[in-house]
Amino acid sequence: MTPTSPTGGRVRAIGLRRASRVEAQTIFCSVVLAVVAFCVLFPVVLVVLESFQVAPPGQPAAYGLDGWRAALSEPGLRSALLNTLKVTLVRQLISLPLAVLIAWLLARTDLPGRHWLEFAFWAAFFLPTLTVTLSWILLLDPEYGLVNTALTRVLGKGPFDIYSFWGIVWVHVVTGSLTVKVVLLTPAFRNMNAAFEEASYVAGGTTLRTALRITVPVMAPVILSVLLLGTMVSMQTFEVEQVLGLPFRFFVFSTMVYDLLVTRVPRYDAATALAVLILLAMLPLVFVQQWATRRRRYTTVTGQFHNQPHRLGRWRWAALALLLAVTVIVLGAPVAFALLGTFMKLFGFFHIADPWTLDNWKNVLKDDLFLGSLRNTLVLAVCTAVVALLVHSVIAYVIVRTRYAARRVLDTISWLPFTVPGIILGLALLWLFLGVGALRPLYGTMAVLVIAGLISGMPLGVQIIKSGLLQLGSELEEASRIVGASWWTTYRRIVLRLMAPTLMAVGMITFVGAARNIGNIALLATSQNRPLSIFQLDLIAQRKFEEAMVVACVIMFISLAGALVARFLGLRGSVG
Amino acid sequence: MALTVLRLDGVSKLFGALPAVDGVSLEIERGEIFTLLGPSGCGKTTTLRLVAGLEQPDAGEITLRDRIVASVPRRTFLAPHRRNLGMVFQSYAIWPHMTVFENVAYPLELRGVRRAAVRERVAAVLELVGLAGLETRAATLLSGGQMQRLALCRALVYEPDLLLLDEPFSNLDAKLREQMRVELKLLQRRLGVTVLFVTHDQIEALSLSDRVAVMNGGRVEQVGAPRDLYERPASAFVRDFLGQTVILRGVVKELASEDVAVAMEGALAGATLRGRTAPGAALSVGTAVQLAIRPEDIEVTTAGDADGNALVGTIEALLFVGDRYEARVTLGGELLILLLLSRARTWREGQRVQLALPPDLVSVWPA
Repeated sequence: MTPTSPTGGRVRAIGLRRASRVEAQTIFCSVVLAVVAFCVLFPVVLVVLESFQVAPPGQPAAYGLDGWRAALSEPGLRSALLNTLKVTLVRQLISLPLAVLIAWLLARTDLPGRHWLEFAFWAAFFLPTLTVTLSWILLLDPEYGLVNTALTRVLGKGPFDIYSFWGIVWVHVVTGSLTVKVVLLTPAFRNMNAAFEEASYVAGGTTLRTALRITVPVMAPVILSVLLLGTMVSMQTFEVEQVLGLPFRFFVFSTMVYDLLVTRVPRYDAATALAVLILLAMLPLVFVQQWATRRRRYTTVTGQFHNQPHRLGRWRWAALALLLAVTVIVLGAPVAFALLGTFMKLFGFFHIADPWTLDNWKNVLKDDLFLGSLRNTLVLAVCTAVVALLVHSVIAYVIVRTRYAARRVLDTISWLPFTVPGIILGLALLWLFLGVGALRPLYGTMAVLVIAGLISGMPLGVQIIKSGLLQLGSELEEASRIVGASWWTTYRRIVLRLMAPTLMAVGMITFVGAARNIGNIALLATSQNRPLSIFQLDLIAQRKFEEAMVVACVIMFISLAGALVARFLGLRGSVG
Repeated sequence: MALTVLRLDGVSKLFGALPAVDGVSLEIERGEIFTLLGPSGCGKTTTLRLVAGLEQPDAGEITLRDRIVASVPRRTFLAPHRRNLGMVFQSYAIWPHMTVFENVAYPLELRGVRRAAVRERVAAVLELVGLAGLETRAATLLSGGQMQRLALCRALVYEPDLLLLDEPFSNLDAKLREQMRVELKLLQRRLGVTVLFVTHDQIEALSLSDRVAVMNGGRVEQVGAPRDLYERPASAFVRDFLGQTVILRGVVKELASEDVAVAMEGALAGATLRGRTAPGAALSVGTAVQLAIRPEDIEVTTAGDADGNALVGTIEALLFVGDRYEARVTLGGELLILLLLSRARTWREGQRVQLALPPDLVSVWPA
């Protein structure tokens, strides 16, 4: 590790005091820490405080426990908490075993076309949740859904209802839950030392036995880590329940928080108390996850092993059929039906005479609101990507390359936003921008949304840049210092050049994240800074599904283009 | 007159509370290959990094030619890029995003050398190590040996005051390592560049260096020419770290200036052997001592009885290693030592042999 700091380049020559150099570095790192801590911790503290503030908006502050009483006793709020846990648990139970199987097939076997299939999961990982949800409504709507109408001829009635608990679970599994796990687990499985498995085969183990007794246990810490990440992500769910849950009055905590905040008399105390409860539920997960991540270095050996793919034999085609089916469900069907939906006169009504039209596209593309939102989205996504890249790379650099005393703390704090559900973060930022006088002029501007994207993208961005820097090794930088380059020249000509693909990929991911972001900004967006994702939500609320679908497809195209570019730039799921 | 290129004056470096380098003082003269040798964790690489400016000392002063580059009492520190040093890293640190040419040209560019001159000097230095013609090749497509040569070119092209080598051969296979060792020495003699070399491999250190500093626990144990160190180690650590040593235990029986007679103990009880006092050792009659001798200095003959300064032993196991035999020999029925036997004679396991220990080559150390 090098003692060089981002400020070290300024040290000129003999005569400059050594002490001042050390101080400059410490001051720089402390400023970074303070800013990050303020952005991440302050909103959370604010939420906790607000949960005890019971006076209605506009009245002088008064403190009490009414919010907490409501969160813990009102049946509606209690059931929202219970629903959150139920949905989370069922999602994980279904998606984890399937994801482990798929990751194993993709990484360790001779499955035909496994590289293409892996790419399909990567692309599916980038699909906007709301778009996929709308596609599945087309297929599984209890009355008009295509699958249901097709099966009605056979069964006499459609068996599926997407507006149900299982409908919500299904959409979750095929959107976030499954793909994110596959994307994270596949590289980890690939990096496992094949000798563990080979030793088992030599000792007489069959494929199945080896997979169950050797591969999965060896990978257990990674699987646990991914499970915990998945659990935390799924507790933040918002859009799916907002669209599918409302019609049958099914609330999870995030939609309940939203509901409490957008009613005529907003109940901030109850909403924030609910939010604090969820944050508390996240805490143990955070610690177990960090513990598992740390342990895992010792259990999975990564490096240059020649991994002979395992022969599936006659199972090859069965496995391929399974994966193709999953790919169609997570990628093919959502994309196809999202497109199809945009050309319908009446969303979901396939059986009316001449159901197709181009009017939706014409209407939306002519709409000034759409054009404004599209411009907002592009500005938002580009700004967020640029700012985030700058901030995230500085954080990662301080953590990896300096000996700043509190770099571990910075590491942990930069990771915390992962555990803060988007809707809570949005709420906290809302309080921050409305509550602090100096910041109030920013409300309604793009800056607010950029900051939200910056914070929510921080965990992933910092982690990826960190691992990139670690792989880079410090000797490449030191060699440049020795041959006569200053810190700044070294940073420009060596670090930035070598990190360029990683940084571009992180930029693309942040870009996509900002473009499809909903939960974080649902409470922050106003008519002036409204991006496409919120415009889409508004269209759905007005039951204009056909036009919402067009907007959904536009967001989907932006996301998929970003995913393609990131993949092309060489980010091969080094996430996590 | 010899000119001091590098001077370390009581330099220390702490990692936490642990001293990695502990009061090291050294002087390196122009044109020599000076080696820091020691086991891993002895502080040799940290010393090199202190010289390079990649670490800051916690005590002491480092002077390069006539410039103080780091001094704790004077509170000065010169950044690495202002020290005009060359360095070859253990991993070579060849920049993967540059071609062979760009890697070597980079330091010249930083020094504002004009384009035509850059081309000329890069070509010349690549020619020197046999990489001519590979200018446009991507640096990542080179073999291990080529990468090492390239790293050397990059470090030499701007004629640094001092070339630092951090275990540069450790990533090469045995054959290539020997070849590079010879090449490096020839190159150094041709260019006359001063070299500070860090290694844990004693053969590398002994064969390549003009002078060697053996380090242990952050301190310099002994500095000297390779042959001096090998033949006259100043401490038990240096003696055991360099080469093989046969060690026998006893008690001083007679003492006459440098000559010592030692009554053997344990398996050899009853025998008396003569040797010389180790440098700096204070002995008196009755002191418990160790007799040390290099295995190759023991003259082994097929023999009857012990005669003069000699012992009798039995070959327990015989290993033919190509250029010689290695034999495990028991002395007095139990003590097992390693000996090197000539290929010129035929040996067999179970054979009784006589081991003559020339008194001049036996050193006596306090136990």
